[in-house]
Amino acid sequence: MMADRWLGAGFIALGAWAFWVAWGLQVPFAADPLGPTPFPATVALVVGLCGLGMLVRPVHGFPRMERAWTPPLMVVAMVGYALLMVPLGFMPATALMATAVALLFRARPISAGLVGIITAVSLWLLFDKLLDLPLPKGILPL
Amino acid sequence: MDVFAALGGGFGVALQPGNLFLAFIGCIVGTAIGVLPGIGPLNAIALLLPFCLALRLPPESALILLTAVYYGSGYGGRITAILLNMPGEPSAVLTTLDGHPLAKQGRGSAALAISGIGSFVGATLSVVAMTFLSVPLARVAVAFSPADYVALIAFALSLLGAVSDGPAVKAWAAGAFGLLLAMVGVDSGTGVERYTLGSLELLGGIDFTVLAIGLFAIGEILLLVETRLRAEAAKLGGGEPLRLREVVFCLPAMLRATGIGFVIGVLPGAGASVASALSYTAEKRLNENNGKFGQGDLRGVAAPETADNAAQIGNLVPMLSLGIPGSGTTAVLLGALLMYNITPGPLLFQQRPDVAWGLIASMYIGNAMLLVLNLPLVGLFARLLTVPSWVLYPGVLALSFAGVYAASNSAFDLLLAVFFGVVGWLFRKMEIPLVPIVLGFVLGRMLEDNLRRSMSLSDGEISALFESPVSIALWILTAAAILYPLVRKRA
Repeated sequence: MMADRWLGAGFIALGAWAFWVAWGLQVPFAADPLGPTPFPATVALVVGLCGLGMLVRPVHGFPRMERAWTPPLMVVAMVGYALLMVPLGFMPATALMATAVALLFRARPISAGLVGIITAVSLWLLFDKLLDLPLPKGILPL
Repeated sequence: MDVFAALGGGFGVALQPGNLFLAFIGCIVGTAIGVLPGIGPLNAIALLLPFCLALRLPPESALILLTAVYYGSGYGGRITAILLNMPGEPSAVLTTLDGHPLAKQGRGSAALAISGIGSFVGATLSVVAMTFLSVPLARVAVAFSPADYVALIAFALSLLGAVSDGPAVKAWAAGAFGLLLAMVGVDSGTGVERYTLGSLELLGGIDFTVLAIGLFAIGEILLLVETRLRAEAAKLGGGEPLRLREVVFCLPAMLRATGIGFVIGVLPGAGASVASALSYTAEKRLNENNGKFGQGDLRGVAAPETADNAAQIGNLVPMLSLGIPGSGTTAVLLGALLMYNITPGPLLFQQRPDVAWGLIASMYIGNAMLLVLNLPLVGLFARLLTVPSWVLYPGVLALSFAGVYAASNSAFDLLLAVFFGVVGWLFRKMEIPLVPIVLGFVLGRMLEDNLRRSMSLSDGEISALFESPVSIALWILTAAAILYPLVRKRA
């Protein structure tokens, strides 16, 4: 029950912010009679009203997670990957990320490392060699 | 234009070796995707879209590939349902009821064969119906004014609440959230920045592939990592093969299921899941005295699978003819076309007959390929179920990121995809449906453009939105679609 109330509050906040931004838009010249404000302002109102509906009549709690620690760790791995892909290069970064994710999916360490390396190399071959789509080379002398 | 001449032209496009090859690849990928639980056609199309863009495939080829994945997945879902008692796709839930008992009785291969034939019958007959229906429907839509389009899109969005399983406010909130996301960037009418948070990267708006991959590929894997799944597969092979007598016996059920599926598919909002459920129940009721539904009746497998594929094709009709998608996956297909600067809708058949008819023709070919692929090779696809999740999902994730990067060359888009992944995961935990987000996102710009165009035409007079008979009828339907879930809740 609590979770739906938080969610409702979140949507109300989002709607309020979106409405405030839309209201503050300054148009240098009038291109059409409607302008950029009314449409987003209306949508923002709908978002807020739906949030209110969830706040008033909550139906769901947040479901219990079986392995609650895994999603945050995976997010860390993915954010790290997004930040490292250009400086490190596609292959090293992908190998690291895929190994980490394989571990989170309960692979044994050696298999996880193998999955990481095979994933990285095969995707590199697919993209860079076969499809001719360049990916960041990074630190490897390729 | 004569339908047959146009279709002939379409075959000219679809039979080009490159397009044949892409349809073939799409069929294989689609079936494989359908087999794997957790990866659906939506994720797969989101995954493949950046490839199409990065490889600069022409729009008709990209559409042939992506659509083949879409209808191919309708053939794959049954394999998991029959062998694992676990639907590979949401619309295959009903197939488990009779399919798995059949597999346990050693008739797994017969169940797979009849469902494959059913999928083919449903899809092909629906493509025939689509061939003759699309242009008349488009012709009606050509007369639509911008104000009529505003009403039509408002109706499509309001239906989200009426057809969703959960609370209607959650579906509407998701749809409105999608509309907000569509507004991020520079407003094309006035050059004003909206919701960019001062970020340079967001000036051009949110990339559709980033949103789709984040919500559906990354979000799904976040959900999979925290759950334990995997059941034992029933043995395939051996057993009595399917007899011709049995196919003939199932044929009336298949024809009825095709009709139900196609009509449900064409209607906005309702999708393949509704169609397969309806046709299963219909068959069960019709054969109350002479069936063994629930314990392994072949018709109980044939009917939902036929309806599932028929509805999938039916879903494409409003997408192509009106430019209004009826389901999540067709919304992604529409998003793909928009990325190619092609607006589906009434004019598509006149301006880009190569795209519209090439696609329709390729669906005849693709379904024939799928039948050939699926009858003898079903065991090969079933073996996909033995790939461990720790091999599959790291690969899918890396492929998603590589695709996003190849299409945009921007590390910012990778972070944005992770952000939408977290949003998708969180929303799914909170039972907020994700499909309305995509629908809102692809319909958002269309809705605002038409609204502003009609206001320009009327010099800002709001009443212009409620003038034509078409728009009045659509607004009444919209009001009904909004009121219905609110009233239903009280009852």
